[in-house]
Amino acid sequence: MADGRTVRRAVGDVLLAVCLLSAGPPDRLSAQDSTRIAEAQAVLAPLVESYGVSGAEGPVREAVKRLLPSWAKSETDTAGNLWVRVGQGSPVVVVIAHLDEIGFRVTGIRDDGTLELETRGGFISSLFEAKPALVHTDQGDIAGVFLPRDSGFTRHTPPPLRVDVGAGSRAKAMARGVSAGQTVTMPKQYVRLSGTRATGRSFDDRVGATAQLIALRRLDRAALKHQVIFIWSVREEIGLEGAAAAAAALATTPRRVHAIDTFVSADSPIELPNFAVTPIGRGAVARALDNSSITPPAYVDSLVQVARARGVALQVGTTNGGNDGSEFTPYGVVDVPIGWPLRYSHSPAEVIDLKDVVSLADMIRAVAETW
Amino acid sequence: MIGGKRGVRSRHIGSHPEGWARYDTVQKHTREYTLQRRVAPGPSFRMGKTAAAFLLLLSALPPVRLFAQGDLDRLALRFASMTAVTGLEQAMVDSLRALFPGSTRDHVGNVTLTLGQGSPKRLFTCPLDEVGYVVGNILPDGFLLLRRVGGTGRTASPLFDQQLEGHRVTVFGARGAVPGVVAVKSTHLTRGRSAPGTPDPVFTVDNAYVDVGATSAAEAQGLGIAVLAPVSLAKRPQLYGERLLAAPVAGRRAACAALAAAVQAKPKVKGTVVVAFTVQSLYTSNAGLASVKALLGPFDDIKTAALPARYADTAVETVALADADRLVREILQWMEGR
Repeated sequence: MADGRTVRRAVGDVLLAVCLLSAGPPDRLSAQDSTRIAEAQAVLAPLVESYGVSGAEGPVREAVKRLLPSWAKSETDTAGNLWVRVGQGSPVVVVIAHLDEIGFRVTGIRDDGTLELETRGGFISSLFEAKPALVHTDQGDIAGVFLPRDSGFTRHTPPPLRVDVGAGSRAKAMARGVSAGQTVTMPKQYVRLSGTRATGRSFDDRVGATAQLIALRRLDRAALKHQVIFIWSVREEIGLEGAAAAAAALATTPRRVHAIDTFVSADSPIELPNFAVTPIGRGAVARALDNSSITPPAYVDSLVQVARARGVALQVGTTNGGNDGSEFTPYGVVDVPIGWPLRYSHSPAEVIDLKDVVSLADMIRAVAETW
Repeated sequence: MIGGKRGVRSRHIGSHPEGWARYDTVQKHTREYTLQRRVAPGPSFRMGKTAAAFLLLLSALPPVRLFAQGDLDRLALRFASMTAVTGLEQAMVDSLRALFPGSTRDHVGNVTLTLGQGSPKRLFTCPLDEVGYVVGNILPDGFLLLRRVGGTGRTASPLFDQQLEGHRVTVFGARGAVPGVVAVKSTHLTRGRSAPGTPDPVFTVDNAYVDVGATSAAEAQGLGIAVLAPVSLAKRPQLYGERLLAAPVAGRRAACAALAAAVQAKPKVKGTVVVAFTVQSLYTSNAGLASVKALLGPFDDIKTAALPARYADTAVETVALADADRLVREILQWMEGR
């Protein structure tokens, strides 16, 4: 019987073999990309291909740290949030994007070696059923599969999912390094689609994390008139927990907070067109109303003015979901969330347009430098 | 962005360890095959001491041709990463022809290779094809609609199409493979829009909108996509446990890999053995195998490679490559007339 390390080596071999032998499409069709699109992709792809279920964001946080500009001094708070402070003086402005992604956590191991799971965040569980699985451990990932249901259970939603790592017994699963508390996802890959579009899992909110990094890299620090705090937060998907810790730490100090997070778009033939119809590829979005916050109209107007003054594409809309900024509002801080349109949110095949990543980064930079 | 249920702890009700294609179904599918691994009822890939001793004995027998386990694993992974929608197997056929110089492709698409000469004249086959999809229509906004292909007489599970939803697919266009995804409703936008007790129907191919990133039909066509272009789930085979291979149609592909590995071991065949990788086994009349028999027969004996699979007809159909090892040995023995 192979141990966990052997299995991980085998997984690596498989990936290599598949890369070499598959007749599949190229993943990054970027020959004609502009410099800005190429920059966005270069930052986004490694973040998307890092794993970080809520509460286990370490790999993503380390990836963000590696991508920070060399001058940036980061610190990690006790909650796990990553902070970078730029500039001096009041009013303090916070921009915050989250590191975590939806997934599962192991809650137990059955006698037959299959893993019982609980969900971390909200999503359609059938999208994981009968698909490859990865159990994330400190020593590396252990491959497995999400079990399919019984054929007689014919409705869209499956029973609670389990994972088979091929162990056959609880003892063997544990010998491979599986234990309760570990997180579980499925393998993911950043892949380019036609034009400037791309697909992958966990664009929510790696795009926000990417935009903050690009904004920092391009920031004219001499132009700052006040302090701007960039935060990459944890445990957003399970209740804005990292943001709550950051908000409590800052209390009434900030004037504004800009949550940099997904604008779930109805730009798809299978969505209702009642609201959230912000096409991908037409720029960042002022997320003026969602399930957690309402931006005061005067602030929306100001944001639109900032965008116009800098020539940045900005849409205005309303969608569903909550955002990290809403944890700051009880302290008297105004939440002005800025999103980017996303198709098929919280699915393994989310779709974005890289032009919106560029627009979002430019919007963050404009807010930091001029508002 | 936060959405949907938070921290809902799983409870396990009514799920069957063998998945929606239960093991008795798998056995029914493979009963026609005469040379396959015999297994106890229920999927178990564990090898007992007796079996291990038997294998040791087998390996000590001099006439058995040599093949490397690593070669078999590579072939199985390679075949499992390929797509061969029934009736549209051209790409995989081309790969097999490159793998076996001297092989031929008949007009139906089968790849055949003749080993040895004289009598008896025997046939060993392996079906290549899989249930899949073709582009049925291209919409003005660049989305593609699909039609399922295959499955007649071996009806796809009611949950078969649902595996597409929200996942990456590959469209095999005239200019090469094009990545796309099948649209799914965003979790956040479904909230509060259906009352408790609302019907929960399975996803079918008629709900499948493929998004390749195109914004118009012309852009999609510019990628080489046209009606009838084959479409499949993106193939990403996964090895787990002790040489377990998970992939769509992993059973068929590992069985074909076993046959290919046996050929590569250069057996000293008894009489003539025709090796045929056949097409269209999942469409109406199994025209591929019928053509081989008509064109190259008659045969004194016919065998088909098959392996037992767990989680059959799903994206994680699983075979034990140890079973494939044994199948290679059995094929070699049969070819050499032992």
